[in-house]
Amino acid sequence: MIRTLLVLVICATSLFAQQIGNPTAQEGVMPPRGTIAIRNARIVTVTGPDIERGTIVIRDGKIEAVGANVSVPAGAQTIDGSGLSVYPGMIDAGTNMGLVEVPQGANGTVDLSEVGELNPNAKAIIAVNPHSAHIAVTRVEGITNTLTAPTGGLISGQAALINLLGTVPKEMAVVPQVALVINYPRIGGGGGGFGGFQQQPTNLAETLTQNERQVDQIRKMLRDAEAYGRAQDAYAKDKSLPRPDRNVVLEPLVPYVRGEQPVIFRADREAEIRGALRFAEEMKLKPIILGGNDAGKVVNLLKEKNVPVILTGIFSLPSREDDNYDSLYENAAKLQQAGVRFCISSGDAGPEVRNLAQYAGMASAFGLSKADAVKAVTLYPAQILNVADRLGSIEVGKMANLVVTDGDLLEIRTHIRYLLIDGRSVVLTSRHTELNDAFKNRK
Amino acid sequence: MKRFIAKLLFIAIVSTIPLNASRAQRPSAPETLIRNATVLTVTHGTLQNTDVLMRNGKIAAIGKNLSAPNARVVDGTGKYVMPGIIDCHSHSMLDTINEGTLAVTSMVRTQDVLNTTDVDLYRELAGGVTTLNLLHGSANPIGGLNTVVKIKYGRPASEFLFPGAMPGIKFALGENVKRSSQPNQPGVTRRYPNTRMGVEEVIRDAFTRARDYKRTWDEYREAAKKDKNLIPPRRDLQLEPLVEILEGKRYVHAHCYIASEILMLINIADEFGFKIKTFQHVLEGYKVAKEIAAHGAGASMFADSWAYKIEAYDAIPYNAAIMTRAGVVVSMNSDSDERARRLNIEAAKAMHWGDLTEEQALKLVTLNPAIQLGIQARVGSIEVGKDADLAIWNGHPFSVYSRVDTTFIDGEVFFDREQDLARRPELAKERAALEQAEPNRPRTQGASPQTPRRRPSKHEDDDVEVEKP
Amino acid sequence: MPKVRSRLIVASTLLLLFAGASKAQRSAIDTYAITNARIVTVSGPVIDRGTVVIRNGLIAAAGANVTAPSDARVIDGTGLTVYPGLIDSYTNLALPEAAPSPSPGGGGGGGGFFLIQQQQRPAGGPNSTQPVGLQPEVMVEDVIRPGGAEIESARNIGITAALTSPRSGIWMGQSALINLSGETPQQMIVRSPVAMHVGFTPLRGGGYPGSLLGVFSTLRQMMLDAQRYRDSLEIYERSPRGTRRPETDRSLAALIPVIDGRMPVVMLANSEREISRALDLGAEFKLKLIIAGGREADQVADRLAKQNVPVLLSLNLPRRTTAALPEADPEPLRVLRERVEAQQTAGKLAKAGVRFAFQSGSMTNISDLLGNTRITIENGLQTADAVRAFTIWPAEILGVQNQLGSIEVGKIANLTVTRGDLFDRNGRVTNVFIDGRPVDIRPPAGGGGFGSGRNSLSGTWTVNVSLEGQGDKSITLSLQQEGDRLSGSISGPLGAGEISNASVSMGDVRFTASVNVEGQTKEATFSGRLANNEIRGNVTIVGSSPGTFTATRSGQPN
Repeated sequence: MIRTLLVLVICATSLFAQQIGNPTAQEGVMPPRGTIAIRNARIVTVTGPDIERGTIVIRDGKIEAVGANVSVPAGAQTIDGSGLSVYPGMIDAGTNMGLVEVPQGANGTVDLSEVGELNPNAKAIIAVNPHSAHIAVTRVEGITNTLTAPTGGLISGQAALINLLGTVPKEMAVVPQVALVINYPRIGGGGGGFGGFQQQPTNLAETLTQNERQVDQIRKMLRDAEAYGRAQDAYAKDKSLPRPDRNVVLEPLVPYVRGEQPVIFRADREAEIRGALRFAEEMKLKPIILGGNDAGKVVNLLKEKNVPVILTGIFSLPSREDDNYDSLYENAAKLQQAGVRFCISSGDAGPEVRNLAQYAGMASAFGLSKADAVKAVTLYPAQILNVADRLGSIEVGKMANLVVTDGDLLEIRTHIRYLLIDGRSVVLTSRHTELNDAFKNRK
Repeated sequence: MKRFIAKLLFIAIVSTIPLNASRAQRPSAPETLIRNATVLTVTHGTLQNTDVLMRNGKIAAIGKNLSAPNARVVDGTGKYVMPGIIDCHSHSMLDTINEGTLAVTSMVRTQDVLNTTDVDLYRELAGGVTTLNLLHGSANPIGGLNTVVKIKYGRPASEFLFPGAMPGIKFALGENVKRSSQPNQPGVTRRYPNTRMGVEEVIRDAFTRARDYKRTWDEYREAAKKDKNLIPPRRDLQLEPLVEILEGKRYVHAHCYIASEILMLINIADEFGFKIKTFQHVLEGYKVAKEIAAHGAGASMFADSWAYKIEAYDAIPYNAAIMTRAGVVVSMNSDSDERARRLNIEAAKAMHWGDLTEEQALKLVTLNPAIQLGIQARVGSIEVGKDADLAIWNGHPFSVYSRVDTTFIDGEVFFDREQDLARRPELAKERAALEQAEPNRPRTQGASPQTPRRRPSKHEDDDVEVEKP
Repeated sequence: MPKVRSRLIVASTLLLLFAGASKAQRSAIDTYAITNARIVTVSGPVIDRGTVVIRNGLIAAAGANVTAPSDARVIDGTGLTVYPGLIDSYTNLALPEAAPSPSPGGGGGGGGFFLIQQQQRPAGGPNSTQPVGLQPEVMVEDVIRPGGAEIESARNIGITAALTSPRSGIWMGQSALINLSGETPQQMIVRSPVAMHVGFTPLRGGGYPGSLLGVFSTLRQMMLDAQRYRDSLEIYERSPRGTRRPETDRSLAALIPVIDGRMPVVMLANSEREISRALDLGAEFKLKLIIAGGREADQVADRLAKQNVPVLLSLNLPRRTTAALPEADPEPLRVLRERVEAQQTAGKLAKAGVRFAFQSGSMTNISDLLGNTRITIENGLQTADAVRAFTIWPAEILGVQNQLGSIEVGKIANLTVTRGDLFDRNGRVTNVFIDGRPVDIRPPAGGGGFGSGRNSLSGTWTVNVSLEGQGDKSITLSLQQEGDRLSGSISGPLGAGEISNASVSMGDVRFTASVNVEGQTKEATFSGRLANNEIRGNVTIVGSSPGTFTATRSGQPN
């Protein structure tokens, strides 16, 4: 039986080796939920003290009980956690997971940025590909959730917060539209990566003029959305008013311009961050900064306005030649010390999201406490994205996104032993493990 | 042969003049004793509570309770000593990377375009890196000559050159040399080759010409003994390095991705009777590990980069482990000034994916790249008599929570975190003073400053020309 | 237009013939004496009060006790100082304007490999085996033309002779030392060829070498080829019978004196690494090397002194040209240091015993030359050495020390006469003699001392605007400059109107104008750099593809 399975796997792998996607690991139905108990494990709850030897009971996708003296319900599937640690699944709040398979040479797999500057109606959850090889490759490293965002233009669209498990986008969605993503016009050119790339004049004065015009474009659309929302509300109350036509572009903006939902501003340089904060205040938005290369220089303002930062670029080279060699390594510690809310993200489109732990680890090597480094990839992103009631820690009632490891969550040499997403036990295979299995014993 | 010796002598003299000149002015490295550290020797295991003595640029002694009354003592309690990391694929400090106009550019030398002021060198030192293999880009099937350097940041270029490193050359296969990312332009003929078939043809043609070139010279030398009035053949800088490859005097470092092109190059090398020293990137090497091992080639790779282009879609992070177990000498490289700063992490990944032992993983960024560059007698492990190129880490270098305290090359400090922190206020003062100087003052009627450009943080596969100041 | 020009040529030829015919008869009045002047002989001590006698183009006598000959025209030099005529050791004077070509690096990235530009390049040597840019046989001697505003500007600040070198290329060609007067090229040339010139700029247009890497390899390969060519010719000469005739190659032939160490090679190199690379290449082929540029030469002073390599040091001192803008990044420390240290290079070279001569090289405004010299004096250079760096040192480095560079009997009578010291803020050039004849000079506009600038942009310009996807358009730009202030208008196929936001600073020119593109009126910003009487740069048009422009003078003011 096992032999046949192995043969099947090998056949499937070689058959699909050059195909886009994950041939086997994503195939088929979702693993069942059921009742699961992890026993005798060290439990890093994140919100409370660590439990050195305890049990977690999971039922119907939720954490039902956590503690040193919790009993295992009858009929539960049990995982022996002796010598192992349980952590909440990691969350990367700055990716394009599932929107791009191969950025170069396979344009058909790229769904990152829509044509035009203003696309609030572009919803990541529409295009996210549950069968992308990136999803399994990422989750087997302990990342259970990503914010996945479109990247184009000025208003890129709406990001989704997804579980890295599901056969259809709906099954993956934790929050289908979690935030609006705006590329605050950039002062520094080049770079690339996450976020829109805009052609810029080489002359800064011209860049600033052009940026002002672009901010104006955004402002105008947000004002239109405000007016649109008011008109719709008014009509709902008073049908004697002329009926305003529905507008699929403005409509999704209404909760954002009313400050009910967060707006993510991609901003790295000091002037961009200040500009984004100014603009958010003017428009009474609920801003989150994504990027934050220079956030360490703006800590007072970020603290004063209570604006959180999704910090990316920890592994980037410092952008200026005179920057200290560790300026981006120690960025997180600076925010932490100043009391700015933040979380750590890979900022990667997909392939390197699996290394999220190392970004947090590096921040810890340069001043962030180990406990905060773990929070920076679990609880903090959940709080910033307003899902701390469901994700980010091991607490009763939360979604059972759990990682069982044989060591420190952030250490490179640590292995993931068990993975639960939405209370479902996920097999730890991916395109990479399958190719490994197919070739490792080739004689 | 005489000519060869004369040439060698000439090279030796030329290259030592500036070396001696600058060394004369500089006191030799102070004797330094690192006391009571955990020493990752690479070749002789991990030694606890051990001292390392550096003298005259070499590792003079390793042991417990060493006595060195004249040495500066560094307390290594709780710290780790690791050999200086060797990056077998770098483009740091090169003013330009590609001569892309021709398919065969074996006449160009990276040594001609070194930029010792590249600040990324310092950032790499801060990651415990001491040696770089500076490679030409991957725009041509046969690219330019490499340069192996020690990162002696702040010194003249002549002091960077790694003495005795084997000369090498860059080859490249696949998408980059096909110029796949270059758009078709109306009216412009694409450069040959455009397929992997053409790549094979270009390499075969070049070595055929090189073989003839060598014969022509041999025949001339023989005939010239009798006839003084013979006109010598043309010296061809493009073919001379290829003759050196055929004679086993120059290492081939071949950029490649997919299994078929790897096999193609092995076949050509076997046919012409030379060896590929390293396959670079070699993302699908795991599929043909036994063929690579049989040829005797090494492999130098990314730990886990994948899917950045279609060629890289079958890359897996188990590559290093599979190939190591197949008997291939494997190294982890950066191909990026960014990644070069954390090659310790890249090596540790081979313990995570594929379960290499700690010693095997350490070798990926120390002894193995040293072997691949022909410098293993001098660097790559902590052994008495080897160059004192090492770094002191504040924790195990395979821990994500560790960072470098001090980096030594030839026993001299080239990075020290304490010094770096202490220098920051001084630099701020210097800047303030310089900004007041007349030629630096902003002009009231002046033009606008430039829009700042963020530098790309990765090359990913060295086809990209990186702008540097 | 061609007609007009040919008529002009005929007219001037006639004039020359006439001048030549009358010259012999007029030689008697080519005798001048400057009396009662302070004489900085450079070769000997300063003569506080003496007389210089010029006869037949040469210095006939100089000294405290020299009296003016009876047939001489006497110039009362009371209160004046006589210097040997200044030599600018690296220029493109007397050369035709460079052909306009698209500005470099527009597209960036790897696309350049395939970009074949259909640009009109200046014709190189006829029947050359090498492409333009790799033709060492090119000689400026063949193309220099007398006269012109640039020569006049140089003379106005006391420059009497200059090395003039080909403008571009890798093997750029061979330079000549010229006197800055004379009615024919033949009269101007003092020595030719003086040196081979090497630049390290890759070829454009997709050919090899397309990078700095290839440039070095090409230089090496051609020098090796020249060695073989030389040896082959020798062998063939000895026994032509039975030997296949070596193919004639003018490019390689031109390199033979270079590789034999008979002809100096001037390499353009400014940064420490550029200079080190040039030194390495020079040592590899045992070349008689001269560095031109030399901004960071002080950092390599030991090697320069040891290898006995002189430097033609540019006085184009770097200086911040931009205004302050809070959103801008602070300038790199490296750049801040460079600008300050460049002012000290001359003084440091003098102290280290490195031979050097001053040059205007890439300066946009020649009248900054003496003012910038003053800055080097304020930063450690002895005044006497500054004088030497404009006189005897360039003469020695360029091999004309028996003809120029000091006030000695028998040398060519090139003299620069000033009121006040040459480098003094209030100094002023009063008389200039070249080849024993006074030349008319006009003091720099705006009064004051040297280096106070002049109205360099005023006039009419023809601007070739190249917009992506829309081809080239030629428009007319008329400019008025007063100090840093710039005004003017455009007219032509892109519409007509006043320019705005215009400024000029240290050669950087900017202005904005409304243009008609794609049937709409849009704002276009031109920003470029003035060099060699040409402005080149980029055009950005809001909401349109960017482009480039090249402006050439079509008329002087008034």
